[in-house]
Amino acid sequence: MSRLVYSRKPGKFAIARLAGAVKPGAGAHVGPLALQSDEPLALPTPEWVRLRPRLAGICGSDLALVDGTASAYFDPLVSYPFTPGHEVVADVVDADGSPGRRVVVVPVLSCVTRGISPECPACAAGQINLCERVAYGHLAAGLQTGFCADTGGGWSHEMVAHPSQLVDVPDDFSDEAAVLIEPTACAVHAAKRFTGAQTVIIGAGTLGLLTLAAITATPRRKKNSGPIIVTARYPEQRRLAKELAADVVCTTDEMPRLVRSRTGSLVVGDQLTSGAPTVIDCVGSSDSISQALRVVAPGGCVHMVGMPGNVSVELTSLWHRETSISGCYAYTHADFATAIEVIRRHDLGRLVSATYPLADYTEAIAIAAAAGRRGAVKIAFDMRGKH
Amino acid sequence: MARPGFVLEVDKSTPPLLFWRGEGFSLEKLPAGRSRVIYPPEPLEAIKDVDGAILEALLNPIDSEPLPALLFPGMKLTIAFDDVSLPLPKMERPDNRQRVIEAVLDLAAAAGVDDVHLIAALGLHRRMHEYELRHALGDRIYDAFHGRGQLYQHDAEDLDNLEVVGTTDQGEVLEINKRAAESDLLVYVNINSVAMDGGWKSVCTGLASYRSLSHHHNPTTLENTKSLMGHRDHSALHQSVWRLGKVLRDSGPRIFQIETTLNTDMFPSPFDFINKREWEWTAKDRAIYLGTTKSLKRTPIKMARKIFHGMQGPHRMTSVQAGETSAVHEVTLQHVYRQQLVEVQGQTDILTMGIPFVCPYNPDGVMNPVLVMCMGLGYLFNMYRNKPLVREGGVIIMTHPTYKDFNPVHHPSYIDFYEQVLADTTNPAEMSRKWEQQFAEDEWYRHLYRTGNAYHGVHPFYAWYWGAHGLQHAGKVIIVGGEPAVVRRLGFTPASTMDDAFEIASDVVGRHPTISHMHVPALLVADVK
Amino acid sequence: MARTKLKLPKPARTPDKLSTVAQLRKVARIGDAIGSATQALLKPTRSLGFPYRKPTAPKGVEVPAEPSKLGADFDTDFARKAPAKALRKIVTQGPVRALVRALADPEVVGLDRLADLERMDDPPAVIFAPNHHSHLDTGVMIVAVPEPWKSKLVVAAAADYFFDSRVKGTIAALALNAFPIDREVTGRKSSDELRRLLDTGWSLVIYPEGGRSPDGWGQDFKGGAAYLSNRTGAPIVPVFIDGTGSIFGKGMNKPKAGKSKVVFGAPLWPSDDENTRRYNARIEAAVTALGDEALTDFWTSRRRAAAGTNPKLTGPEYNGWRRQWALAEHRRLGKAGQRRRQKRRWPDLG
Repeated sequence: MSRLVYSRKPGKFAIARLAGAVKPGAGAHVGPLALQSDEPLALPTPEWVRLRPRLAGICGSDLALVDGTASAYFDPLVSYPFTPGHEVVADVVDADGSPGRRVVVVPVLSCVTRGISPECPACAAGQINLCERVAYGHLAAGLQTGFCADTGGGWSHEMVAHPSQLVDVPDDFSDEAAVLIEPTACAVHAAKRFTGAQTVIIGAGTLGLLTLAAITATPRRKKNSGPIIVTARYPEQRRLAKELAADVVCTTDEMPRLVRSRTGSLVVGDQLTSGAPTVIDCVGSSDSISQALRVVAPGGCVHMVGMPGNVSVELTSLWHRETSISGCYAYTHADFATAIEVIRRHDLGRLVSATYPLADYTEAIAIAAAAGRRGAVKIAFDMRGKH
Repeated sequence: MARPGFVLEVDKSTPPLLFWRGEGFSLEKLPAGRSRVIYPPEPLEAIKDVDGAILEALLNPIDSEPLPALLFPGMKLTIAFDDVSLPLPKMERPDNRQRVIEAVLDLAAAAGVDDVHLIAALGLHRRMHEYELRHALGDRIYDAFHGRGQLYQHDAEDLDNLEVVGTTDQGEVLEINKRAAESDLLVYVNINSVAMDGGWKSVCTGLASYRSLSHHHNPTTLENTKSLMGHRDHSALHQSVWRLGKVLRDSGPRIFQIETTLNTDMFPSPFDFINKREWEWTAKDRAIYLGTTKSLKRTPIKMARKIFHGMQGPHRMTSVQAGETSAVHEVTLQHVYRQQLVEVQGQTDILTMGIPFVCPYNPDGVMNPVLVMCMGLGYLFNMYRNKPLVREGGVIIMTHPTYKDFNPVHHPSYIDFYEQVLADTTNPAEMSRKWEQQFAEDEWYRHLYRTGNAYHGVHPFYAWYWGAHGLQHAGKVIIVGGEPAVVRRLGFTPASTMDDAFEIASDVVGRHPTISHMHVPALLVADVK
Repeated sequence: MARTKLKLPKPARTPDKLSTVAQLRKVARIGDAIGSATQALLKPTRSLGFPYRKPTAPKGVEVPAEPSKLGADFDTDFARKAPAKALRKIVTQGPVRALVRALADPEVVGLDRLADLERMDDPPAVIFAPNHHSHLDTGVMIVAVPEPWKSKLVVAAAADYFFDSRVKGTIAALALNAFPIDREVTGRKSSDELRRLLDTGWSLVIYPEGGRSPDGWGQDFKGGAAYLSNRTGAPIVPVFIDGTGSIFGKGMNKPKAGKSKVVFGAPLWPSDDENTRRYNARIEAAVTALGDEALTDFWTSRRRAAAGTNPKLTGPEYNGWRRQWALAEHRRLGKAGQRRRQKRRWPDLG
């Protein structure tokens, strides 16, 4: 049973960071990620089931791990060695070993999956993304499946999951459409921040496009007055953003001018005096956050959907203009149901640009790291062939 | 003795011809047997005693009393003058405007006039920098009047300082600078580079408000302006302006118009080969051409711009006339045509032109893509009388690097125009409907126009409308050597070489099209029979 | 050992520029040293006597006077030959320019008024007619006059002052291209010579006041320049020089560095129906108007010129302290008022 395993090897981690800095995705060659053949994982409790992944997506946070740029913040929240992959569509293996239901995994390892009772207040309220117990209980630490030593992950031929984590895939969904349910749920969660006023989405990678799709699929969109402006770096991204009903698609350097012009704002230094009430940052770099703060309206909010990490940002304008930055992480079970609707409506399965067998993982990761430039969106591993 | 312009039929032994390419040149071979080149007349003899000629014009004006008779103590005198958009390139000091205004001031001083204001009639153009005012007016006038607050620039958005003069029978409102409107005498000092300028257009655009300008600066008018440089009857723009002029004459201030013309001696040495006919290039000219083009290719664009925009043309005054506006303008036109008119027989399938580094809207700035369109289809295409050089549905080929580069100080609204409006539409009528108002009323552009050195927010639309007739007339527009993405954004077709351009054009005009080449920049107006 | 920071003097912006008065003094001291060295060399000849020295004349014999080669008769033709021209170019471009810049820092305006003349196919020789306050004026003019006249410029200099000795006259002729004229009587010879110069393309600087101002105010213009212009047809360019009077005016022992301004006026042409006296008045009025322009502005000056109320360069009619008082007021308006503040010097009390 082969799977990709990420181990805690500080030396290799450092080398991966160097390699990743030279060429994104190069960390896969030299870093702590390796393909292994292992015995099947033990079930944490009899309640758990075995899954055979069909497709598993490569996410931005996975790439950060591979290239050694992930924040040290995560170190206590994961347990080594783990198999990455939290965007998973899989078959549930019945007791007799034959494939049964086709499901997607809700990867958050909340109180229920950890056997913690009573649940923490967040889980009790259904907000599993805010679970306070992600490093406790009978499972090893791990905020999600794909970061936990006990659960395995999607980048493998077999993993385990708690029944509460399973969401059935509608029969009319292809595997490609299904593998996008998890990231789309993320986007649906982010799209709740959409107020109907003018909104800027920075970045048109998977997350940016899906957030856009989630927003344009919401009923609130219909009565909205403010346009949705999306910044996209590459032509293919621009085309898709247009298709997904963005009102204006522009490049990163055009965006501040465009927001200024659309809001009739004046300019002081390089800060707009007015601006967009909502900015959704799907990149999460110092540059993108700084730019977001330059164009957000006084009293407005910058929502961080992309994972920021350790950034350096001038916050005086945040203080002066009473703007805010807020985080936006993961999803609840309800978001998965909405995500299925969004995917159906926009036919998002087409965003899966290419799939690779596990054996070709270095190539897959290299492509994923350069997806935008190569005109790709989502890259996934395909485990449907031989084991 | 200056030789007149002429039309050269290109044959096998015709050397390659000089084309401007922005901040550089190229030599292009045109197919023999079916191409012709229109060479402008050589620079005319300049007036020897300029100051004498000016005084003579002021003392013996056309259809008007002499200037001294119009001046009296205690009067309000306003002198308005053309802005930095002409002449191109800027002329060696002293500028015509300085000479004329000094002469007017001398007469005003003799008449005991104290209340004199000088206003740069810039319409919706950018305000001039101090060094530009000093260049146009000379240090003496600048130092004497600017400190007193009596030298300033027209502001088409300063609602407190605009006044409605009247309305034409077609409902066009004439609203001009209040000081000018309230003056006992308004003296307008002009430089007439092209036949389109001058006459009533001087006051009715230079000192007008945005509201007043929009009556004639719009797509409908400019699509119906079939002859900017020729007969006024075929120019909806000029008809509208002349209607406004009538209102001005009937209910506005008394106007004393002074118009001057220049010869086309535009380039200082060593760049004077630009004005020569290629087969007359001396060894020195060829060496300079090779040296400059080779080194310009290696020069950073910013430095090349600095060199070109720093050039001062040795052009000199060929005529000066003063008096009643329309009568003066008729005489001026004769002088302009004398310098620029070339008789040409019939139209051709293709018109080629080299686009230089400058047009009237980017002195000391960047020739951005919108201005490339404006220069090619708005200015050069329109340099004809009777009918265009290219047949309707023919192809226009320009050479210019067409980079995506803007001067953010001068052209802030051009950047947004390029990024937003042109991404949406290149159709003048459609952009006027969907976008013009937003740009015209943008608070930020208004601020930059009024306090900085920016063109008015609506100006890129006007630049684009200027080419409306050309856009409508041409079946295809090709830019040779431009950045493909930018050229496509303009709605044109990119080509890497002139031969490619002819190949692309063959879709529209067939395999053996006839070709006209305008040998600019020395200005010429083709009188197409 | 304590480390001391090595302080380097700031390099001057241009190497040939003598930027401070202290440097000038140094130059003077070197000059003195060279002078005394030559004196020492020549000393032995004194004891040798005739024929090494001039013979003494016996009593009762009348030695016929040699015709004077000094004053107005000083022959300066050599100064307009090629070698002298080359030498002068070096001297005026180097030391003279540096000295004038260091002392007077002239701001030159109004050159655009000469553009028409300059652009003629064959620019004519002209007569520059500036007001005159200081010996520096000549240096300032040499620096300020534009080409094509700069390289063919002759300065009319007072014969009794500049050409009273051979050495002085030769230096003046070489360095400044000075030409001797009588300030009192425009002798036939001088005027013929000057006409010849104009006809052969040499431009002139003639101070119509005839000499430096004795009290800081100007003097009435004499008719020499107008006469020459009338006779030769050469145009007169009126020039106003402001500020040199307080830098190195008549009666000052040493110069006091300051600023100056040179205003060129529009060329004046002689006209047939105008006698020399009226032409001269026109020239004086032009320079007076330029003086007004230099201290106020163009428009004020033109209006007053039209009304004939430009403040006279010759100052107020009254005499005595009030005249001096008015001069101070007058100077405050011009470049003298913009003088850099001198460094305050405290007495050294040991």
